[in-house]
Formats: sequence, C-alpha cells, structure tokens
Amino acid sequence: MSTLAQTESGTPTTCAGPASTQDLGSSYGDCLQGECSRKPDQKLPELYGVGDPVMFSSNSSYLSSRGRMIKWFWDSAEEGYRTYHMDEYDEDKNPSGIINLGTSENKLCFDLLSRRLTQPDMQWVEPSLLQYPDWRGHLFLREEVAKFLSFYCKSPAPLKPENVVVLNGCASLFSALATVLCEAGEAFLIPTPYYGAITQHVHLYGNVRLAYVYLDSKVTGTDTRPFQLTVEKLEMALQEATSKGVKVKGLILINPQNPLGDVYAPGELQEYLVFAKRYWLHVVVDEVYMLSVFEKAVGYRSVLSLERLPDPQRTHVMWGASKDFGMSGLRFGTLYTENPDVATAVASLCRYHGLSGLVQYQMAQLLRDRDWINQVYLPENLARLKAAHTYVSEELRALGVPFLSGGAGFFIWVDLRKYLPEATFEEELLLWRRFLDKKVLLSFGKAFECKEPGWFRLVFSDKAHRLRLGMQRVRQVLEEKAQVAEDPPPCQTQEPSDQRR
Amino acid sequence: MSHQSGTFPAPCGQKACQVLKDRNICIQVLVMIQHLQRRVDEHLKQLPTTRQRLHLAKQKQAQSTHEQEALLDHLIRQMVNFLKSRATGGLEQQVSLLSLECRGNVRSAQRAQSSRQPGQLVLQWSDIEPAFVSHDLSNRGSEICVLYHSSFQDYNAYQGDKYQEDKNTLGFINLGTSENKLCIDLITERLGQSDMNCIEDVLLQYPDWRGQPFLREEVARFLTYYCKAPAQLDPENVVVLNGCCSVFSALAMVLCDPGEAFLVPTPFYGGFAFSSHLYAKVELLPVHLESKITEANTHPFQLTVDKLEHTLLQARFMDKKVRGLVLTNPQNPLGDVYSRESLKEYLEFAKRNDLHVIIDEIYMLSVFDESITFHSVLSMERLPDPNRTHVIWGTSKDFGISGFRFGALYTHSKEVASAVGSFGYLHSISGITQHKLCQLLRDREWIDTIYLPTNHFRLQKAHAYITNTLQSLRIPFLCRGSGLYIWINLKKYLNPCTFEEERLLHRRFLDNKLMLSCGKAYMCKEPGWFRLVFADRPLRLKLAILRFCEVLEEQKQDWKEKQLADAMKE
Repeated sequence: MSTLAQTESGTPTTCAGPASTQDLGSSYGDCLQGECSRKPDQKLPELYGVGDPVMFSSNSSYLSSRGRMIKWFWDSAEEGYRTYHMDEYDEDKNPSGIINLGTSENKLCFDLLSRRLTQPDMQWVEPSLLQYPDWRGHLFLREEVAKFLSFYCKSPAPLKPENVVVLNGCASLFSALATVLCEAGEAFLIPTPYYGAITQHVHLYGNVRLAYVYLDSKVTGTDTRPFQLTVEKLEMALQEATSKGVKVKGLILINPQNPLGDVYAPGELQEYLVFAKRYWLHVVVDEVYMLSVFEKAVGYRSVLSLERLPDPQRTHVMWGASKDFGMSGLRFGTLYTENPDVATAVASLCRYHGLSGLVQYQMAQLLRDRDWINQVYLPENLARLKAAHTYVSEELRALGVPFLSGGAGFFIWVDLRKYLPEATFEEELLLWRRFLDKKVLLSFGKAFECKEPGWFRLVFSDKAHRLRLGMQRVRQVLEEKAQVAEDPPPCQTQEPSDQRR
Repeated sequence: MSHQSGTFPAPCGQKACQVLKDRNICIQVLVMIQHLQRRVDEHLKQLPTTRQRLHLAKQKQAQSTHEQEALLDHLIRQMVNFLKSRATGGLEQQVSLLSLECRGNVRSAQRAQSSRQPGQLVLQWSDIEPAFVSHDLSNRGSEICVLYHSSFQDYNAYQGDKYQEDKNTLGFINLGTSENKLCIDLITERLGQSDMNCIEDVLLQYPDWRGQPFLREEVARFLTYYCKAPAQLDPENVVVLNGCCSVFSALAMVLCDPGEAFLVPTPFYGGFAFSSHLYAKVELLPVHLESKITEANTHPFQLTVDKLEHTLLQARFMDKKVRGLVLTNPQNPLGDVYSRESLKEYLEFAKRNDLHVIIDEIYMLSVFDESITFHSVLSMERLPDPNRTHVIWGTSKDFGISGFRFGALYTHSKEVASAVGSFGYLHSISGITQHKLCQLLRDREWIDTIYLPTNHFRLQKAHAYITNTLQSLRIPFLCRGSGLYIWINLKKYLNPCTFEEERLLHRRFLDNKLMLSCGKAYMCKEPGWFRLVFADRPLRLKLAILRFCEVLEEQKQDWKEKQLADAMKE
C-alpha cells in the first residue's frame, strides 16, 4: 500500500517527506537560467530541510517558509547568470565582457529565423488569437505539432492532435507533469549527469524530487562507453530509493542527452522502457534536441518511432522550439502522450502556462513550412553546428583535454579533472570561478549532479568570433593552471577517450 | 460383449468366432490407444499455451492488485477529505451560530443557510470530487482534473461551439467570460502596424525571467502615469508573467504556506479561488457581504472593516492562519470602485493585523462612467504597509487581449519580487509578445486619443443598452460605471430561492446557448445573483437578450404550471 498523499487541508507540502534521503536530490539544479552555474556558497544543505522555517527565517519577514525556499532559487542564480547579464560581451560596446559558453542556446541561426519570422504570413492577427484560447493550445497548432512530430519522429502511424498539449516551454511541462503524476515528496529516477534545472522545474510547484542513477566515466563490466546507462543501474537506484522510503513514480530520460551529447540506441531505449513497465513507472522522454543531431553517422531514434511502446499509457514525450529552432525566448513546449487522463490533467494547468495566441499562430506557420525547414533551416543549422563543433573539439584536442561528444546537442562534456589539484567539488568551483574571472562562463559538473568532480559542459553553438574569443580565454586559464601544477595530478581515474566524436 | 457373443450367428465355428472376437478387441484397443495418443498430443500441445495463460493471469492479477491499491488509496483519501470537511463544517456551524447570537441577530430563517457559508469553499471542493479515478495520475492530478472539469466544463463547451454570425448562428453566446470584445478592430489594426513586427536576437533568447528589462521599464512608466503614482515607479519592482492568474498563483505560493488563508470579500472573482487552490493550496476565507441596505450597509455589498475584523476573528477561532487580504478594484462582479477613504481603512486594517494586501486592479482603465473616479492603490501618498502591498494589473481586460497572456506585479518588497521572479520560467512570456506589449503600452498617444475614448464610449453604449433592457424587464441590478459586467438579481425567478434553483436556471440559460455566470461561482451568499458581461458587439448582445428573455419566460411558465398542478392536487 502506498503512502497517503498530503492533501490541501493543512499538511505543509513543502516538507519533503522522510529525512532519510540525504543523497536524493541534495543539490538543486543550476540557476534560473537553468543552464549556467549558481553561486557556489549558497548551497542548499539537504533537501529534507527544505521548507523548514528555521532554515530560512533569519532575514525575511514578508515571505512564507516555502516562499523563502523559493527565493533561495532566485538568489542562487546571482553569480553565474546575473554576473553574465551585468557584463555581457558585445563586440562593439563591451569587448571585454563575459562570453557565455554555459547556457545551452543555439545562436548560430538567428539570421535565418528572423528572416522567416518577419515574412508577411507571420503577422496575422485575428480575434480568436486575442481572446481566451482552448487551454490545450489552439487546435490549428496542435494539428500542426502532430503532423510535425509524425514526420520528424518517424512515427509508424500518424500522431493525433488530441494527444498534444501546448505550453509555454518545457520547464512548465516538467512542472505540470511532476504535479499530475506524483504526490508531493515522491520522486522521478534520473540518470546523472543530467540537465540540472529539472530539479527546480519539478520541485517549485510540484514538490517532487529526483532520485539519481549515478553513472561513471569509467568503462567497466559490460559497458561499452563512459556514463553508460544500464537497466542494472536503474534497478539499483530504484531499490535504493525504495529502501529509503521514497516512492518513485517515473523515470526521466533526455534523448539526445544533455550534457553528454549522446543518443540512446533504439535497443537500449526499449530496455529502459521495459524496465519502467515492470515497475509501473511513467517515462518522461525529453527529446528537445531531436533535430540537433549534426553527425550523420549517429542513428537517433525518437521514442515515438518505436513500432510498439512497452507501456504507451505511461510514456510521455516532450519537445520544444528552444533548442532545435534556437528560440528559447519564444517559450514553446509541447507534450505528446497517448494517455488522455494525463493530457487532460496537464491541460488543466495550462491556464497558468499559456502561450500568446499570436505566437501560437507563428509557431504553426513555422512548423508547417516543411520546405523552409528541410531545404533551408535544417541543413544550414546542422552544417553550422558541425563546423562550430569541429572547431572547438580541435582546440580541445590541441590542448590535450579529453572530452566526450556524441554528435548531438550544442555542447561538449569536457574532462578537466587533471586541472584540479584535488578531486573535490570545491576545486571544481574554484576552476569554474577562474574561468568566470577570465570572462568566460562555463557550466560545472556539479550542476549536472555529476558524481566525479572536474567535468565541465562547454556550449559551442555560438558565432565564430565569440567562440574563438571564448576558447582563447579557456586556453589561457588551462595553460595557467598547467604551469602552476607541473606535476600530473594524483589518483586520477582512467580518462575516457574522446571517442564517438 | 457377452450379449454380443450371444447374439452372434451360430453357423460359424467356435474357433473362427474366437479369432473374430480377438481381432475385434484388438481393433478396439488400438482405437483406444490411438485416441489416447491423440489426447496426450493435444495436451502436450496445449501445455505451453496453458502455461502462458497462467502467466498472463498472474500478471493480470498483479496489475489489478496494483490498480486496486491505487483505487483504495484514492478512496481513503476521499474519505479523509470528506470527514475533514464535515468536521470543519460542523465546527464552522458552531462558530457562526455563536457569532450570530452575539450580534443578537434573530433571523432564524436565514441562519441555517448562512451558517454553513464560511466553509463553503472547503465544501465546494469536496462536493465536486466524484469518482474520477485514474491509475496514471497522482491524487492531486486527479483532483486538478476534476476541479478543472467542474469549473470549465461550460467554457470548454463554448470553445467548441462558438456563435458565429455567418457560420454557426446556433452556437453559444458567451456573456459569462469577462472579455472585452468591443475594440478588437482597433487592437487588430494597431497590432498590424510595422513597429510590432520586430524580431531581434534578444527576443529569441532566454530572457530575464522577471520580464525583459525594456518591458518592465515600460510597465513602470505606464503604471506611474495611469495609476497617478506620486513618484516614478521602479522597474525593479515589476515582475511580468503570462497572465494575472499566474501572478496570483505565484504570490500565493510565496506569501503563504499550504493550508494558510487569504481573506476575500464576496462576491468576488472566482478565478482566484481556482488559482489559490490549484498549486498553492491556499484557502480563501470569504468575508460575506449582503445586498440588503441597513445602518451599517449604506450600499449593497458594502465592505466594512467591521466585517473584515469579524471574519478574521472567526478564522482565529478555527485556528486558520490568515496571511493576507485580496481586493479587486474596480470590483468584479459588482462593477463598483472603492473610495480612497475606504481603501485606506482596509489597508490600515491589514497593517494592524500584519496581513499582506493583494490588490487586483485589472479593470483600472475600464471605468467608463466619467463621473466615477478610480483610485489606484499606487496613487496613495503613503501606503500604510508598502512592503506588504502588492498590485496586479494586466492587459486582458483593459485592452481586451486575454489571448496575449500578460500579467504584471508591482510590489515594493524586493524580497517578494524576487521570490515571484523564481516562477518566471514557469510563467514566462514569449519575447516577441513582450516586444508587442511594450510597443502597445508605449504608444500613449494612441491609447489616450484613440483607444481609451473609443473603448469607453462603446462600453457606455453597450452598458446602456443592457441596463435599459433590464429595466424594461423589471430585473433589479447594480448600476455601476466600471468593469465589463453587470451584477443582476434573478431571485424572483427562483422558486424556492436556493442555490440548487440558481444552478437549474443557469443550466437553462446554457441549454438555450447563453453563457452567464451564476452567483455561486463568486461565492455570493445569497442565491439568485448572476453576472452578465455586456462588452460584446451589439448584434450578439441583441441575440443574447432574446435568448435571455426566452429562458425567463420559460421559467415563469414552468412556475405557473407547477402552481396549477399543485392547486389541482389539493
């Protein structure tokens, strides 16, 4: 018998359940930006303390205890994201400003996008777009999304508009799914390193936690590559969470993976789904990088392309325009689920996560323009991604820095362990800060809940001149570091080779 | 066999007979063996499928155990909820009986009805928890679904079957949702101008989650001007989100812990009940106002500090922690505005009791009667408790663009602003939309010389049309000069005058493809009140009134027939 849920009638939902789960979600994702790193000294001690009035009461009189916890999220963004915003690099106005290689944004195709978005078909205004909408999203957009996903996910049968729900971004979608699938205090499994902002997405409203499936860089046993996810590891993590009294309701998979830039093989994907089915777990598959696979040899398969899903009623797919169309500012995210209850429940929350009618119209126009996507946008985007990736990986290789990159996404997972005098997260932070001092923003591994200190995520999808300058600054810091510590750092584990470029 | 042998023809010899007999037996045995073999084969063949079936059955059993667990889970939770609501309901009954007696009030007829009012919200939520059980949703997920269905069922029906002049003349006319449909022509034209269609890199990238700085600056300037603030408002105190409901939801999250409460004078905008409950689990405690004019009540539904104090006291009785007061000004659904003095009194009451005040001024530019002066709380020389005063405004009503999804918070508390800012990425607005909003708010000339005068003129005209009609129908209503709606009293069409009859009348309007909102949705204490939105095109209004009259006529006819039938019985 599962535990009874806390209800609205008085039990504080911010109180995060049993106190025995120190290592479950003990660290919040990175900052509000989600992608870059947070102020290091303002670390939230342990999740089970969250919402405890004593913890946050010291200097606040206007907020509730959960309000103080929520504000912590905001404050914790200071050093990374906000330092960057105070001092953004600008070629003409602020050439010594910070270059942002921390936020996962594709800045390579603004020219193509703004040309497309300013065409006359985009400027349509009609009354229904200005009035209260169908909260699931305008039907014309949901139809277009279904067609689009059917085509690009290569679904065996056409996808249906009634299974589509449109929201203002995938963050909202994570939040809504967490709320409707889990009770407060319950958890999702997630393999780490992972896109750390999800922690905040599922926690803020939903008060849902993440149970980590820690992966290693070292290739052992039957693994064929670093940070490999296996069913065995999933089983272990599930068992551990359960033994600590945490109820796991689902599994979150990001495919293509962030920050690894890798994709799951269809066989693996199937195995994870079968595992989930065995334990009645929901699977939320975040495919937000699905069209950003720039290496042709990589055989990416969407979960929607599988002939038969092991548990279609518990498989929920998300996609958005932030990454694949480089428009994180547009705030478009969509859910595809065959489960009508889940679709309706998420739609019930859409009143709070709605997207302007005019933008919905523009989005539909964009998705509908298959000619432009196939002949102009995608080939150009993938070529530019590949060129930028090649440049950065060459640079890293020249520096003798090992890295992982699987041919998808906007980032390279860089192994800087040999630059840490000691293999600790404090040293990782110091190095990260060193980069920031040198005016280049990266994301450190701890923000992705990586188990091993010393990994960094470097985003390469930026314009050549900024990228060059950014890499110059990175090189400076690393060369400086290498000089300080002439002798190779002790007790380093075997470094993964930079295979699968 | 013996019988057979006995009847066997005698002419054959004994031996031949024996051989025949033996052969016969042999054949029979062979047949039997063959038969058996076949059976064994069949069994062997069936064995794996049987095994499979067994396995399947086992799986099914496990599945159904799982499902039953979920079901039990849900049922127990429902039961607990139910018991709780009953328990609190009973307690409230005692409390309010007590208070009624304290006041020496002897209106015993009303007592039974009003006594349960304080718990109305609690009861409402548990009332509408029929057996919606989904094995895939969490309990709160199911609850959200149920709540949504019950609140937006009619709205969804309308979305699927809207009245259209040329295409769907039998569709719903919506005078229930508060939308201003009078100036879509002006807005459409303005939005079609070239300054609206700018696409810059910054609009397509991750924004400042409190809102793009250019928009927050414009909002601060806009509010300074239209709220007549004594000093320039600070863009750092502005947070913009995708709608006022989102702002309210985020505020409820950061100002209250689950189970805590806000005071709200009722009747009030029901959407806030939804918003405070859905994510934040914050309760709304109604401060019930009355239509009757008495010594303390100089006008209908008057809010007084006495009533606020009284409800606060009651809440303390019930051990409810009250964190704030929610005011809507201009009021929804009353269409009234608070005077500067009463506003000040309410704010001081809040300060005395360490309460936050959330003031929703979303209709602030929809005051169409020139003789009325609206006072924004931001216009006050000195706020009693600036760090606990939070103002909400948006473009949905005043600019008639609810589809834009824009709501703004203005608060002097940096703490509250940044805590609400944490919700920015869950309630963010597209950069492109932020640009358009900024252009719109910046165009003071268009707003002042074209949009506002036209809008007010059209609102006035529509208001006059409806009020004249109501007068000729002898339907009482509150004649006020702001908002997009009229609060009308259909008590005389209810017999008996109960919320059940109100619901039936509401249903009758819907059956006649007319959407109105009933008083219960605004937590009004007295059955029979309806909110009628008049900000629609004349053509639709006329048709709506036609349908409205039809329903009332039917209702009257029904009543007469019922009376006749009753008389016949006697």
